[in-house]
Amino acid sequence: MKPRHIHYDVVIVGAGLAGCATAQALALADSERRRRILIIDRHPGVHPRFSGEWIHPRGAQILDELGFYPALQAAGAMDVDGFAVFEDADSPWVDLAYSTVTGERPHGMAVHHKVLVRTLRRTIAELGRVELCEGWTVVELRRDSAGKFNGILLESNDGNTVELACDLIVAADGKGSTVRKLAGITGERETLGFTAGVEVLDATLPAPGYAHVMLGAWGPILVYPILRRADGRTSVRVTFDMPRELPAKGEGIKQYLLRAFVPFLPAPLAEQVASAIVRHKGPLEMAPTVNLPAPEAMLPGLVLVGDAGGCSHPITASGMTMGLRDAQTLGLEGARRMDAPTGEPWLDAASLRRYKAEHDRYVPTRQALADAIYEAFRGGTTGSRAIRRALFDYWNSGPTARRRSMALLSCAEGRPSVFISEYLRASRFAIGASLIPKYAASYPVGDRLRQARGALQLAQDKLGIVATVMWAQVRPSWDVARSAATREAWRERWNRISSRLSGPAPQRSAAAPPTPPLPS
Amino acid sequence: MIACGAFADLAQTSRLPSPARLNMLHAIPTPAKHGAPTPQRQLLADAREVEGLPAALTKLQSWSDDWLARATEGIRPGASPTDRSLVAIPDVGPACEVLLADQLLRDLSPDEREGLLAWIRGQQDPSGAWLDLQGRPDLSLTAMAYWARAQGGDERTSESMVKAVRVVHALGGAQRANFIARLWLAMAGQIEWSWLPAIPAELFLVPNSIAISPARFSPWARGVLTPYLVLAREKARLHLTDASELLVRHRGQALVAPRLTRATLAGDLLQAFDRAVKLSRKLPRGPLPEIAVRRAARWIDEAQQEHGGWFSVRPTLLSLVALRVLGARSDDPRIRRGLDYLRRARGRVVIPRGVGAGREALAQGLGGTPMAVVVELIGTRPGGDATAWLVRHQLQDVGPWQARTDAPAGGWPLEAGARMHLDLAATCNALSALGRLSADDPSAAPAWAAIRRATAVVLAMQEPDGSFARFERGETDVFMRRFPWTDADLLAYGDQADATHVRLTASALVELARTGFAADDDRVARGLACLERELDTHPGLDFVTLCTLARCAGALLPEEHRMRQQVEKRIRSRQREDGSFGDLLDTASGLRALLELGHVCVQAHRAARYLVAASAAGPERFAQGPARSPGGFGLSPETLDLSAATREALASLLIYAERQARVTELRA
Repeated sequence: MKPRHIHYDVVIVGAGLAGCATAQALALADSERRRRILIIDRHPGVHPRFSGEWIHPRGAQILDELGFYPALQAAGAMDVDGFAVFEDADSPWVDLAYSTVTGERPHGMAVHHKVLVRTLRRTIAELGRVELCEGWTVVELRRDSAGKFNGILLESNDGNTVELACDLIVAADGKGSTVRKLAGITGERETLGFTAGVEVLDATLPAPGYAHVMLGAWGPILVYPILRRADGRTSVRVTFDMPRELPAKGEGIKQYLLRAFVPFLPAPLAEQVASAIVRHKGPLEMAPTVNLPAPEAMLPGLVLVGDAGGCSHPITASGMTMGLRDAQTLGLEGARRMDAPTGEPWLDAASLRRYKAEHDRYVPTRQALADAIYEAFRGGTTGSRAIRRALFDYWNSGPTARRRSMALLSCAEGRPSVFISEYLRASRFAIGASLIPKYAASYPVGDRLRQARGALQLAQDKLGIVATVMWAQVRPSWDVARSAATREAWRERWNRISSRLSGPAPQRSAAAPPTPPLPS
Repeated sequence: MIACGAFADLAQTSRLPSPARLNMLHAIPTPAKHGAPTPQRQLLADAREVEGLPAALTKLQSWSDDWLARATEGIRPGASPTDRSLVAIPDVGPACEVLLADQLLRDLSPDEREGLLAWIRGQQDPSGAWLDLQGRPDLSLTAMAYWARAQGGDERTSESMVKAVRVVHALGGAQRANFIARLWLAMAGQIEWSWLPAIPAELFLVPNSIAISPARFSPWARGVLTPYLVLAREKARLHLTDASELLVRHRGQALVAPRLTRATLAGDLLQAFDRAVKLSRKLPRGPLPEIAVRRAARWIDEAQQEHGGWFSVRPTLLSLVALRVLGARSDDPRIRRGLDYLRRARGRVVIPRGVGAGREALAQGLGGTPMAVVVELIGTRPGGDATAWLVRHQLQDVGPWQARTDAPAGGWPLEAGARMHLDLAATCNALSALGRLSADDPSAAPAWAAIRRATAVVLAMQEPDGSFARFERGETDVFMRRFPWTDADLLAYGDQADATHVRLTASALVELARTGFAADDDRVARGLACLERELDTHPGLDFVTLCTLARCAGALLPEEHRMRQQVEKRIRSRQREDGSFGDLLDTASGLRALLELGHVCVQAHRAARYLVAASAAGPERFAQGPARSPGGFGLSPETLDLSAATREALASLLIYAERQARVTELRA
């Protein structure tokens, strides 16, 4: 399908979760139906690569507010209760339940990614306020003389091109965003490794309704339900975190998984997963795991949402929730500018700045958490293993510890004080866990000190990340304060100059000096 | 206990592993990942297939099954020693001690006594000496063997006995023999107890976490020194035949006193300290010594394992004697179980060398059937009841090895039926065997749990320098070993840099690599750094150790890595004109190393042809080679591992056949 107009208020590139949610949020914000919203995607149908499938309660709430929830439930999406974390398959698991987090929904949502995207696209198509064009790729971005993005050149899969004018381009095309590259936004993208996934029907889960994080193998194994099928059976997704230098190729990957990961699953899940791997025909579904420290999320006329605006290892399963929060923020800005006069951009520079400030507040926090937890769960160094043990000791110390951690992990908590206090508690437990062995009767003092030193070193290394997160939390309010102060200073200065030149100060509405550009 | 029927089935059937199973084997370095360069591929294309390979594989599998049947015969309860065969043969030391101790324990049947004597007689070198497994005359072995023969009634004036006495005198007399030989001499009243090192009884009251505590000795040393404390304290006396002719005397007929410490200043000081300790024993010391002896006696009770023995045969013998000294009667259940264990550790052997070479005799093994050997034999035919047996025999109880090892119970013990002592060599072999199971095997699921626990144990057994310990962490770094006692080395289990530990470290790393660990893990990186250090500092590493290093390098290091290239160069340079790398074990190890480094090259073809040709000569040829294995400990650090060459040849030719099949596919 070809775009029907040559000018749109918003063009969204990428019709995945973040793109569809943004389109829906903006469409709902435009209650008077004055705006044209276009969403395009390269793939007719759905993206072939397997992707995120777990949404925290905050994200589920946004889906509900956007009107997707009933359709997703009908399509087989499942309410999920939290995380069950296994230090090893023989140990009791740690219950990180959503229901313990106050002020949040008690359930998140898990859904097969392809079902999710199909349902979202169908829902926005049924609403009829967003134009959806599948099979189109972005080729070029257009800018005006001031450097603001104001157009986009698209090419269809069959070679047709079309150029559109627009006030805002929303890049929602994932971690490998084409729009981001075309806009010249560079990020330090780092491929961490690969995730392989298999689907298991009716797997025996120790904690049904939970996402299981199993440790002990090279990388963490995630096991979670993704679909309630029409025949009453449940599909469970099992993902394996593999190294960047894959030790095998093709069919060899299956043997590698059987050898290196399956033994670290508890029985009888291990047998079911092994059977699913052996029976799987063709290559396994795989996707790279990428760390993309939050790039510049906004340029004049362009915003990045979802993974395009920064992503991290999927261990905290927060990518989709972050995408939904981006969509919600843009929707709020759209609603705020609902009455913007015709001829002005719907989302003006101030709206985009506010979006960026909000985006920059929670994305670094999420990335820092994912980075720290992935390193601890991987346990590749003495220090990270000590931190891992400390985390389990901390979680086992009481329900308050689990609740506070879960609030951070599920993106429900963003206060800097909570983040820093959790960091300090984990560090304290790391020292304790390093000095007290778990099994040994008389563990050598040298080993204890080595572990404690490693944990301290790691905590010290993470101080930079903590500082980044703290700055990200504090900066938006500081920016607002600073910009307000700057404006006042300019005004006073102008008033002083004016009064010196021509007597009384001019009326603000009549001859107000141009507001200096706010620092970005 | 073992499912004997299962092993009987295994022994009777001799079939090649299925192609599917072949594909499961040795999947770490594949040509896809470490592909041979183009010129080598051309060579491969030109190389002719080895004729007779399938027949050789069938034969080797059949012989391996026979060895497995023999090994498991040793585990079966109730079987007579004369019905069993030993698969790992130590020197004559344990047999001599059993014969001497029988004066007190009175357990050997006449057949057994005669069989053991035949074993000792047959092993004597024409020079009159008894040799260690390296072929060197050994004073302690010669003294003990002479004494055991004399105790058994052999004529002292016979030529062989006279020669033996001359050898003992030439080597300095029996008083210069090792600690165990002197202990027997002291118990027999031939020498003074003061010629043995003094162990203050109070040492046994020191907390386990203190460096000088006996808990920090190697498990073998602990097993020997604890009963020694009881024996020395009670001044035990056995009525053995006179052995005074073994002792060297001054001209005035006074015995030449042995030096207990090394000839250094520190040694002199320690000698003086030793005298002071012995003098202080004559002073009243309060209740502490008695408390210490009671504690040692309690330890002896607690350390008896499920199979009846202590750590191995020597600690078992001394513990039994100590129990008798402490008042246990011969019908005491602890004594009966211990004697049963000793009996199960005996079996038939063919005398490998000496005046009786080729004849059959009854030998006393160093312990029960070594689990490492059984497991490796099971690994040649994974799956089925044997795997289930293997899983059942994993360690499930907390043991002394865990004192300094922060890991849950898991892994495999030194010998079947043991429950207290982990053996990392057996654990690595078991991981290797279980790793070959196909996912659809019924025993795979319990095997995965065993693999998981064993992997945790392997990781936890790493020493701070990156090497891995075999029995207990810190086994090579015993504080008391730093004192210049002549017998101080017995307190530890080898050195961190010895071939046993280098090989063990390489094997542990190979198994970790199989389980998905890579050099990005700091533990693996430390292990690799340790191996690289040893390779640089010990240019004379033996060939089998070098081949184990090559397997480790093939699994974990890229082709351009210096250590990998260095090891490969050294291995390649060792090949002879006939395609062998030395004896059959060396050749099989060399072939396997080349294959696991990713090369099916001309050198590999030649080695494979050599092995295939050797298989035509029959199983005896594979059991003849000097396949010394550092499977021993204490005073017998090596054993003759009779099935080693068969196992290694089968494993290497199986990989070779698999690679050949891939090359054929490539050619097609």
